[in-house]
Amino acid sequence: MNIDPEKLRRALGAEVVEAWPDAALDAALETGVDGVKPPLTLRPGDGAALVEALRVLRDEGAAALVCGGGTRLGVGNPPRRGDVLLRTDALAGIRELDGDEGVACVGAGTPLAELAAAAEDAGWELPLASPGAAATVGGCIASASVAPRVLCHGAPRDHVLGMRVAHPSGERSACGGRVVKNVTGYDLMKLHTGAFGTLGVVEEAWVRLRPRPEERAVLHAWLPDSAEGFARGMRAAALPSARAVALVDPALAARVAEEEPVGGRWLLVAELGAASTTLADDRARFAEGLDVRSGDDATLARLTALQDGPGSARGMRFRLAVRPTRLDAAAAPLVNAGAVVMAWPGTPFLYAGFPLFEGADELTVDDAFRAARVGARAGGGSLVLEAAPVWAKRGRDVFGEPPSAFSVMRAVKERFDPHGVLNPGRFVGGI
Amino acid sequence: MGATPSGLIADLVDVVGAGACLHRAEELFVYECDGLTLHRARPSAVVLPRDTDQVARVVKACRRAGVPFVARGAGTGLSGGALALENGVVIECARMDRVLELDPLERLAVVQPGVINAHLSELAAPHGLFYAPDPSSQAACTIGGNVAENSGGPHTLKYGTTTNHVLALEMVLPDGEVVRMGSAVAWDSGYDLVGVVVGSEGTLGVVTEVTVRLVPRPDAVETLLAIFPDVVSACRAVGAVIKAGLLPAALEIVDRRTIEAVEASVYAAGLPRDAGAVLLAELDGPRAAVTREVERVRALCDESGAARVEVARDEAERQRFWGARKGAFGAMGRLAPDLYVHDAVVPRPKLPEVLEAVCAIGDRYGLKLSNVFHAGDGNLHPNISFDRRDPDELARVLAAGEEILRTCVEAGGVISGEHGIGTEKRDFMGLLFDEEDLEPMRRLRAAFDPDGVSNPGKIFPTTRFCVESNPKARGYDGVPL
Repeated sequence: MNIDPEKLRRALGAEVVEAWPDAALDAALETGVDGVKPPLTLRPGDGAALVEALRVLRDEGAAALVCGGGTRLGVGNPPRRGDVLLRTDALAGIRELDGDEGVACVGAGTPLAELAAAAEDAGWELPLASPGAAATVGGCIASASVAPRVLCHGAPRDHVLGMRVAHPSGERSACGGRVVKNVTGYDLMKLHTGAFGTLGVVEEAWVRLRPRPEERAVLHAWLPDSAEGFARGMRAAALPSARAVALVDPALAARVAEEEPVGGRWLLVAELGAASTTLADDRARFAEGLDVRSGDDATLARLTALQDGPGSARGMRFRLAVRPTRLDAAAAPLVNAGAVVMAWPGTPFLYAGFPLFEGADELTVDDAFRAARVGARAGGGSLVLEAAPVWAKRGRDVFGEPPSAFSVMRAVKERFDPHGVLNPGRFVGGI
Repeated sequence: MGATPSGLIADLVDVVGAGACLHRAEELFVYECDGLTLHRARPSAVVLPRDTDQVARVVKACRRAGVPFVARGAGTGLSGGALALENGVVIECARMDRVLELDPLERLAVVQPGVINAHLSELAAPHGLFYAPDPSSQAACTIGGNVAENSGGPHTLKYGTTTNHVLALEMVLPDGEVVRMGSAVAWDSGYDLVGVVVGSEGTLGVVTEVTVRLVPRPDAVETLLAIFPDVVSACRAVGAVIKAGLLPAALEIVDRRTIEAVEASVYAAGLPRDAGAVLLAELDGPRAAVTREVERVRALCDESGAARVEVARDEAERQRFWGARKGAFGAMGRLAPDLYVHDAVVPRPKLPEVLEAVCAIGDRYGLKLSNVFHAGDGNLHPNISFDRRDPDELARVLAAGEEILRTCVEAGGVISGEHGIGTEKRDFMGLLFDEEDLEPMRRLRAAFDPDGVSNPGKIFPTTRFCVESNPKARGYDGVPL
C-alpha cells in the first residue's frame, strides 16, 4: 500500500516525516531492506512522537520497518511489507549515568560508541557491543547483537535492567527499573531483547555497566592448523583474565593481523584483562610454546569488523550458536564446504562466510545451507543466516527451523502486534 | 471455600493414583499458605505427579472441570505465590525430584522441578562445580520454585539470579500442551521465552523440566567480617566497594537487632553484641586476585568507619560467619511468633538514607524491625517481628510495610528483588506501574494463558487503581486472628 505522506505530516508534524531514501542509510540500503523500499522515513524525536507514529500506522493499516543505526538491517527474512522506515536515531541521548551505581539510562538511538565513551569516563565499561560505527543501544538490544567480549560480558539480555517501550496499540509502557535486582512484574526486557522490534519499539533503556579491568593486553599468535587453533583457543578462553578470544581462518587473518599468514596458518587473538599480577600470569600461560605478538584496540576493532566480513552483499554469512565444547566439530563441515570461518572459543559463536560467485544459483545456496545445518547439528546448536542477497533468502527462513515453542511465539506476536505493524515477516517463522 | 466440581477428584486420582491425590480437609491444612503465613487459601485438592505426562493430564482434568491450578515447590516462598486461590488445585512437585542429567564437561544439569536447590550443588561438587543461585532456604527450596520466583540469594551479586542460570525449560501450557523452550546453548532464534517464564510466578504454565548452568568452583574464597558502629556506615562501605569497581561474590549486612537475636540463638557466631552492624564480604576467584581484593575491601571498610575487620582464618570460621547470616531468619523466632519479611531494592548509593528511613518507620510504628540483607544488590530485607493475634500490632505492621515500600520506590527502587509479587504485593504494583505499563504484561499472560487458569490472583493488582489503603482490597481480610 502507499500511505499518504500529507496525512502523516498532519498527524505527526512535518519534521518527523522525510522522503526515502534516508541520506544516512542510502549507501547501506541501495536495494532497500531486503528488496523492500519504503517510500517514507519517519524519525520521531521523542517517545510521545514515536508512539503516535505507531498508532497512526496501525490506524492506516501500514507497516513499519524499524531501524536504529542500520547496521543490522541485513539480519532477517525479507519483509512482507514496509510502508515506512521508522528510524530511532533521534531518540538519542544519555539521560543519566550513575557513576556510583554503575548504571545508565539512554535513549534507544544513542550510538553505542557514545555510551561506551561516557561509561569509560565514569570509570566503567559498557558490556553491550555490536559491529558498525553507527550501531545504537536500541538496535543492539533489539537484535541481541554480540561482539568478541561476549566471552566476559555474556548476553545483552543480562545487562538490560529496565525499558520504556512504544506499542502499536498506542501505549508507552515501562518495565523493570534502574536497580540491579528486580522481580517486580514480568521480565519484559528479556522479551524485547532479541525480538528484532517485532513486538514494540524500545524508546529508552536502563543498562548495567561493568567494572573495568585495571590492565588489558591484546595478543595474537599464528597456529599451524585449525585443530591446534581450537585447542589453544579453548585454553586461552579458560584463563581467568580472558575477555575475548577469536580463531580466524587463514583467508581472513590478514585483515586482523595486518600481515599475510604463511602456509595457511590460523590466527589466534586474545584480549586479557585483570590486575597486573594475574595478567602477567595469564599472559605467560597464553604464550607457552607460541610466538606471540602484541596488538592493541585497533586489532580488536578489526576483529569485530570481521563479523561483517565473512559474507557480504556478494556472499552469505551464517552465525552458528553451538555448544562451546563442540565449536571445532561445528566448524569442520563448513570448512570442508569451502566457507571461511571465524570462531570465538569459550563462547557458542562461529561465523562462516560463503562467497557467491557469478553464476551462483539456488543450488549454491542450498549447499551452503546444508553445510551450515550439518555444522549446527554437529555442534548441538542453531544457525542464523545473517547476510545474503535477497534472492538467496527468498523461500528460506534465515533463522533456521522454527523452535518447539513456536506456537507460543506466534501467540505473543498476535497479542502485541495483532495488525502486523512492526517488521512484518522479518522474524522467525515469518513472524 | 466452594465445592469441588464433581468428578474432578476421581479424574485426578485416575491420573496420579489415590496415594498422590490429597483432598480431605485434614490433608489440605499444610497447603493453606507458603512462607508468608499472613495469607491463606485452602486448595480443593493437592496432586503429587511424578512426570510431565501426569502434569499435562492433571492440567487437562482441571480445565475440563473449570478449576484453576497452581504449581508448588517446597512452599518456602514469601509472597503467597503458591496459594491456590479460587478453589484451585495444587500441583505439588515434590515427587518430581530426579536429576535427569549432570554433564560436567558441558557444565549443565537437567532436573525435574522438585529437585532441592542445595542437593544439586552437592551432586555437582565432586566435579568441581556448583549451582550458583543460593536462596537462604536452599536446603529446602526447589529448582522449580526458584524458576517461578527468579530466586536470588547472597551470591547473586557476582553470579546473578536464577534467570542467569536457566538455559532451557520444558513446560506444560495451561491448555495441557507440552512445549520446550531454550536449549543447552542458550542462544536460540525467536523470542526469549525462557527469560519471561523465569520469574513469572507460575502464571504462564507449569515447568516440568529445567536445564541449568553449573559454575566452576573458584580457586580461592576469602570471607571478611567488618564490624561497624551503625548500619548506615556499613551501607557506606558497600557503596564504596561498588564504586571502586570491585565485584565481590557477596556483600551482606546484619544489623544490631538481628545480631542480638542470632547471638541468643543456636546460630550464635560470636558476633559482637555491641556492634551497630556487621558487613559480611566474600571474595572469590584466582588466588592472587582475591588476596589483593581482600586488602582493598578491608581498606574501604576502614575508611567507612569500621571498628575492625576480621578475615575468616579457615573454612570452619567462614562457615560460622555464614551460619550467622543464613540462620538469621530462624533466630528471629526468638523475638516474636510471626515475621514479615520485605524485599524491596534500592539504588546502592541510596542505601544509607533509605536504611535510616526504614528504621525510623519501624520506630514510629512501635515495631520490632531488624535488617539482614543483600546490601551489594541494594536488596533490603526489613524484618518485622510481631504477633498476629494482636490486631493493633498487625495493623501497624501492614501500615509500616506500605510506608517502607513507598520510601523505597521514591528512592528509585522497586518493591521486590527476589521474593516475587504473589498475593502479598500485587496491590502495590501501582507504586511502580500504571495501567499502560501493566497492559503488555497482561498481553503476555494472555498469550500463554488466555483464560487465566494458571495461578490466578497473583502479580496483577486486584483494583484498577492498584494501591488501596484498606486491608480488604489488599487481601488481608482473610487473615485468621
